[in-house]
Amino acid sequence: MTTKHTIIAALAGLLTIGIVGDAAAERRTNDLAKDVAVRHRRLLVKNRFEFAPLFESTINADFQHIIGGGAKLEYHLSDMLSIGGVGVGSIALKTKLVDRILPTLEATPDPATREPSRTEFEDRLNTMPVHGAVYASLTPWYGKLAAFSQAFVAFDFYFQAGVAFAQLKSNCPMSVCNDVTTDKPEPNGDLPDMNPNNDPPLNSGGRAGLYLGGGVHVFLNDFLALDLTIRDYAFTDNPSGADFDAKDQAVTTNDNRFVHHLFFGAGLSIMLPMKVKRTP
Amino acid sequence: MKPLQMRAFHRAVVVVLGLALAAAPALAQPKKGPAPAKGGGGKKAPAGDKKGGGDKKAPAGGDKKPAGGGGDEIEMGGDDKGGGAPVDPNEIDMSAPEDKPQADLQQDLAITPDVGVVKAGDIKRTPLSWKDILVVVRKPFLKSHRTELYPFLGTTMNDNMIRHYVAGGELAYYLTDVLAVGVEGLFYQDSFREPFDLVARQARRLPTVNKYNWSAALDFHYVPVYGKFAILDHRLVTWEVAFTAGIGAGQSEVIPRDTKLPGFTNLLIMPNAGANMRFFLTKWLTINAGIRDYIFYDKFEPTDRVVGGMNSTAEQAKSNADGALINNVMFQIGASFWLPTSFEYTTFR
Repeated sequence: MTTKHTIIAALAGLLTIGIVGDAAAERRTNDLAKDVAVRHRRLLVKNRFEFAPLFESTINADFQHIIGGGAKLEYHLSDMLSIGGVGVGSIALKTKLVDRILPTLEATPDPATREPSRTEFEDRLNTMPVHGAVYASLTPWYGKLAAFSQAFVAFDFYFQAGVAFAQLKSNCPMSVCNDVTTDKPEPNGDLPDMNPNNDPPLNSGGRAGLYLGGGVHVFLNDFLALDLTIRDYAFTDNPSGADFDAKDQAVTTNDNRFVHHLFFGAGLSIMLPMKVKRTP
Repeated sequence: MKPLQMRAFHRAVVVVLGLALAAAPALAQPKKGPAPAKGGGGKKAPAGDKKGGGDKKAPAGGDKKPAGGGGDEIEMGGDDKGGGAPVDPNEIDMSAPEDKPQADLQQDLAITPDVGVVKAGDIKRTPLSWKDILVVVRKPFLKSHRTELYPFLGTTMNDNMIRHYVAGGELAYYLTDVLAVGVEGLFYQDSFREPFDLVARQARRLPTVNKYNWSAALDFHYVPVYGKFAILDHRLVTWEVAFTAGIGAGQSEVIPRDTKLPGFTNLLIMPNAGANMRFFLTKWLTINAGIRDYIFYDKFEPTDRVVGGMNSTAEQAKSNADGALINNVMFQIGASFWLPTSFEYTTFR
């Protein structure tokens, strides 16, 4: 019995050494390896609403610059994930390309030529009075920067994806766009006129599509941030309202194609509540 | 007898547990490298030739530096005094009495206390915040007196008729950590965009466009912004923003609307301005992305040009060319290679 008990006791001791040794080995690991990159960080977005009045303008538009103002409302579910929406009301300004083309066009329609008149070209161009998107946003990068070794500000980069919507509008009067049958035979049985310049542009109405965006918050303080964004509202459109595919010599719905509408946006984000929390 | 046996068993268990607990702290010690040899390190060195401590064999006297082993190296070992080794005359003996005047009690007592300096009263407690803690870390990347070789690719951002792709390179020398001077060269490849065809097809107008062949510039860079960011709350990346301004030259070429007519080239004076973001990956490699605006006065094909008639030759067309101020805004991205490939800090951490 004595020997047996001694052996059991020795085994128990070895087991204890093993357990303690494992615990000790566990303590040797560096906890920083599993730690977050930044501790005691201001949670500038987590569980906060973001309301941002903003200005938006198209980038490199072909025929019409779309310039407008609106607002963004977003709720940040976590430090990296948020959901929100943006809506913008806009006006349209002709691009330099249009300004250069228009004076060279003929003043009145001439059936003998295949070129559009000034009104036929100008009135078919569409505008975008309202557009916006609902989206989910990911903020994978955050940091701080020093400018001129004087201003130290926090910033983050975010990427957005969602559904875009837009209301398109063109004002081609019936006196100009009077060929409602476009590529189909005329009501009196005549063949199509093969003239796309007098067809309705078919580039009005509501559109839905894909929204992609990316931007940066530059925090001015705990609750105000400069919000700079590049937004891409992609949906079917035919900005010129003219015959795009040149197959049928008529403007049809087939001339609408998936078009990327790139916008630059600048806004001032107000984070609510205004008081900011910190990570452990 | 039985109770005695149990006591013996308990005693054995207590002894083994005691050993185990005694062994535990020893196991919990941090891992060490190979045990150094007694009195110094693993590598044997000639006496008086090496410093003590570390991995190198020290002479008698432990961590003290031997005579002749002077220099500016910081002694990291302990300060225990060993006998026998000669003392470096340049070394400061921290235990030596300071060379200061003897204290004079009478003189001290004669000093009138300034009651206005310290006022007794309640201790005012001010709330602490994280703003009270200042952490200054060294810049992770030094550029001063280093050369940057920056091959890059780029594309036009603001021309909806013709798009240029560029392959280019820049060689810049950093005079300081924030100022650099460099030279760049770009070669262009053009392609028409959708509106070029649309205007021709829908409006029956042939756009007048020029393509660019090459450009080169002398650039000056200034880096006013630097920062760091965390990716997915895990990895820290440092970055900076550099502003660039330069002056250079380039060549554009008219693309004739009628292919029967000859084109002509223009030599352009091209100042440029831009901003560039630089992300530091290693001591010798960075990823750069930026925007550059090349500004120049270009000459385009005249509107009135007829084969065999008005402005039919390149010289006539060039002399009657229409001019316009152009902003060619380009996005550029590339990787920078830094020489020398490493750097040393001149200040302590």
